[in-house]
Amino acid sequence: MREHDAARDCPISMHEDPVTNAIRTEENLFLDEPYYEPGGDEVAVFTAAYAHNLPILLKGPTGCGKTRFIHYMAWRLQRPLITVACHDDLTASDLVGRYLIRGGETVWLDGPLTRAVRAGAICYLDEIVEARKDTSVVIHPLCDDRRLLPIDKLGELLIVPREFSLVVSYNPGYQSVLKDMKQSTRQRFVALEFDYPPEEKEVQIVVKESGVDADLAQRLVRFGHMTRNLKGNGLDEGASTRLLVNAAKLVNAGVAPATACDNAIASTLTDDAELLHAIHDLSRAVF
Amino acid sequence: MSATGRSAADEYQALVAEFGALAAGGHLDPELADLDAEQLAFVRHWARVINVSSGALAVHFLDRAANAARLLDAPQREEWIVGALDVFDARGLGAGMAAFDALPTDAAPLPKGFTGRLADVTVRLGHFVHGLGGRALNLAPSENAFTDTETVYLPAEIGEHADLPAVARRYRLLAVFLWAQNRYGTWRRAAVQGLLDCPRPELEWPVFERLECLRLEACLARDLPGLARDLAAEQYPEDEALWAPWRALAAELLAPGASALDSLALLPRAIALPLPRPRSYQGAINPARVNEVMEIRLPQEQAKLKEALNNLEDDLVGEEIEMEGGGAPDPRRFELKPPQAGGGSSLSYGDKEVELSPELQQLIDSILQDLGELTPEELDEHARNAPEPGEDDQGAQNEPLDAEPPGKVYFYPEWDYARQRFREAYCRLTESEVMPGDPAFIAETRRKYRGLSQSIRRVFAAIQSDNQRLKSQTFGDDLDLDAIVEAQSDLLRGDELSERLYMQFRRLGRNVAVMFMVDMSGSTKGWVNDAEREALLLLGEAIETLGDQYAIYGFSGRTNQRCEIYRIKSFEEKNIDLVERRISGMGPKTYTRMGVAIRHLGALLAEAPARSKLLITLSDGKPEDYGSYRGRYGIEDTRHALLEVKRGGIHAFCITIDREAQDYLPYMYGEANYIVIDSVHKLPYKVADIYRKLTT
Repeated sequence: MREHDAARDCPISMHEDPVTNAIRTEENLFLDEPYYEPGGDEVAVFTAAYAHNLPILLKGPTGCGKTRFIHYMAWRLQRPLITVACHDDLTASDLVGRYLIRGGETVWLDGPLTRAVRAGAICYLDEIVEARKDTSVVIHPLCDDRRLLPIDKLGELLIVPREFSLVVSYNPGYQSVLKDMKQSTRQRFVALEFDYPPEEKEVQIVVKESGVDADLAQRLVRFGHMTRNLKGNGLDEGASTRLLVNAAKLVNAGVAPATACDNAIASTLTDDAELLHAIHDLSRAVF
Repeated sequence: MSATGRSAADEYQALVAEFGALAAGGHLDPELADLDAEQLAFVRHWARVINVSSGALAVHFLDRAANAARLLDAPQREEWIVGALDVFDARGLGAGMAAFDALPTDAAPLPKGFTGRLADVTVRLGHFVHGLGGRALNLAPSENAFTDTETVYLPAEIGEHADLPAVARRYRLLAVFLWAQNRYGTWRRAAVQGLLDCPRPELEWPVFERLECLRLEACLARDLPGLARDLAAEQYPEDEALWAPWRALAAELLAPGASALDSLALLPRAIALPLPRPRSYQGAINPARVNEVMEIRLPQEQAKLKEALNNLEDDLVGEEIEMEGGGAPDPRRFELKPPQAGGGSSLSYGDKEVELSPELQQLIDSILQDLGELTPEELDEHARNAPEPGEDDQGAQNEPLDAEPPGKVYFYPEWDYARQRFREAYCRLTESEVMPGDPAFIAETRRKYRGLSQSIRRVFAAIQSDNQRLKSQTFGDDLDLDAIVEAQSDLLRGDELSERLYMQFRRLGRNVAVMFMVDMSGSTKGWVNDAEREALLLLGEAIETLGDQYAIYGFSGRTNQRCEIYRIKSFEEKNIDLVERRISGMGPKTYTRMGVAIRHLGALLAEAPARSKLLITLSDGKPEDYGSYRGRYGIEDTRHALLEVKRGGIHAFCITIDREAQDYLPYMYGEANYIVIDSVHKLPYKVADIYRKLTT
């Protein structure tokens, strides 16, 4: 096993190709423990669900640590992680796979879900509600006690190994009725609810992630709470923990705190000029 | 004088001479006579230009020119005219006239000088104060700066400043200092009483102000160092010598735990010191006003807290009985722990930590701001005496009833949470039609929101023309490469060849049915009712352009025997003029029995043939009816009714103007399924936007 390259945050594979600098997604193993601060008993619940082959649904606002949690669990369970960011053009065959032509021959190419099943990996479908409705055709049989992946084009039924696990995420804060999860889908999952961490923990996270001192982190978190006060009063969402960490990283790289808040937080939250002014004033008040 | 050197009267005569005969009845809009020469020359020039294209359009323009001159500056006027002419060229006379009707009402304000005016910074300052946290504070203009613990009063003007940022900064510092008075406990009840009891307020209050000023500056320096820097920059250096003995005396006030009571205690010793000038950002104090406001707020909040704690206790005791398998709960009390570093206060019951909802947390914090502690009465269960909910509505049935509106009668069950079962066929509901109202209201609304209605239409048209890419079609606008590759591979393997090789761009098939359930209870009388009607008119027009199925019903009622549903538009109704007349005829009725209305309208909506079904409630408050429907019973029934319709695949959403809705709406509708509009005037502006968000 190679030593972890400390300069990079991304997971390092055991099988990195020295020429293309690429790794095969099936081999995307986390060698070093990703930093994760548990908020409750989610680690125990996830472990138990994984042990019993139950698929898992992560609920929570953007940037509160869902993805980091799944990285952490993949490391803890020592399974490769295959992540798919769902979008509104994502079809079932994008997930399962399709035939391609290579040199006059047809070649079957597995989709990410199939590859995860074959490799016994954890497959993480981020923002599942964005995907096309027809993806439920493959997700449903995977998620109940059948544990099968039908591949119609190949005429195969892939039997799912014990190690495979399906994890999906979903942000209940989006208010569009067209982007709601169907009961028949959501009732197949064990749901874990996430929210922004409590203040002391959030300070700790910002310190650990960015390397700034506790005082600065404390101020950033206080500023974050101020923006969350504005949620529903012009802002759709307050600053997430991720944004606070981003700002802290900028500060650590020598950017003035108030400027970092403007660029990493305020401007990403809104385009409304008056609100931008107000958020700007708030950051000036804290720093 | 105009550019042509003529006077206004001459210009007007010229205009009449040229276009008087063309106008309807031979008369020009009399308001044109009020315009100045330059404006008249402008009007005449453009009337001539338009007349070349169409005489009728020119007349139409002349009728609106005076209004436009009032509302728009010259470049905007020109844009308005040129825009309308473009529309005329492209789509004919009718569209061109309509374009002239659509006067942009939200035109940009004209540039001003920099007299510091509160109006220029209110929005920004409001967000700022809100973001600081603590009890929600309103901003209002007043003679001088002070706070009554619910509103921050600021002077409407603050003299000349270099530029707008300087004005904003000046107001910000004033507002922050008043916010700090609220936040850091200047207005604890004991302190307010102490101030009111002062024998010589004219001497003692200014001393208290100086002491508090030092204390608050220390608090701000700890929590908001950036602001403290700004404050320091505003202090007069020459006064420092005067402040020095104050600082020496008030050393203990600068420590973290100090309160306004400590300032009061220092009064007798500080009164001998010479007074420094007040800080420029300090504002005034007004203990009498604070006292008035607190006298009203405190009992209300205490009552709410009692209710909330009672509910909480019911839940906790219930849980325990389940866990321990029965047995009477032993009387224990809630215990409040002071806020920990960085966190809010926490509450425990017996030895158990209780999780506080954000609303309860806010309520407790607000009471703590007033009292500094929760008194034993609030926390002790014997002192709290909950009203017994769930009693029958017998008392109300003896009330004389007005004549019942004719209509079809339905019976619906109602959920009794105390009994944990339905009261079968308990509610008698009649559905009747709203009598068409005054068409003047429709015209007035159109006029008032011309700009808005145009922008809503534009936005909705954009949704409508949202193209969807359909892949694997038998014919279409473009080749679908994915399909071709797939077909090629099928072909090579000898499989059957698909014909679906094209991509089509098509309008997104919207398959949405929306039911608007509008609160017509007595409390909507006045502004709320007007805003509801205006919002519905604007929205109806917009939804028509989208082609969604929609229905509008009003609800009200008095007791379970008199639940009323007023039909404004059924899904089938196509006569939009009639619907608009009915909207205008909507008026406030009696109470808000929501559960039965949801069941009835949910059933109607369930029958609509659409994939996505949406039940939107426009409301001004919590469910309430004569008798026992108040409080928890009504909320539980409403919640249950919503769960019933959700089971049928209907999405429920609530738009409310009740600022206290945070307490109960998440429980009834779910976290993401409601929105609170802080001012009723914004309703027409917001509703269409919410509708767009919900359905795209």
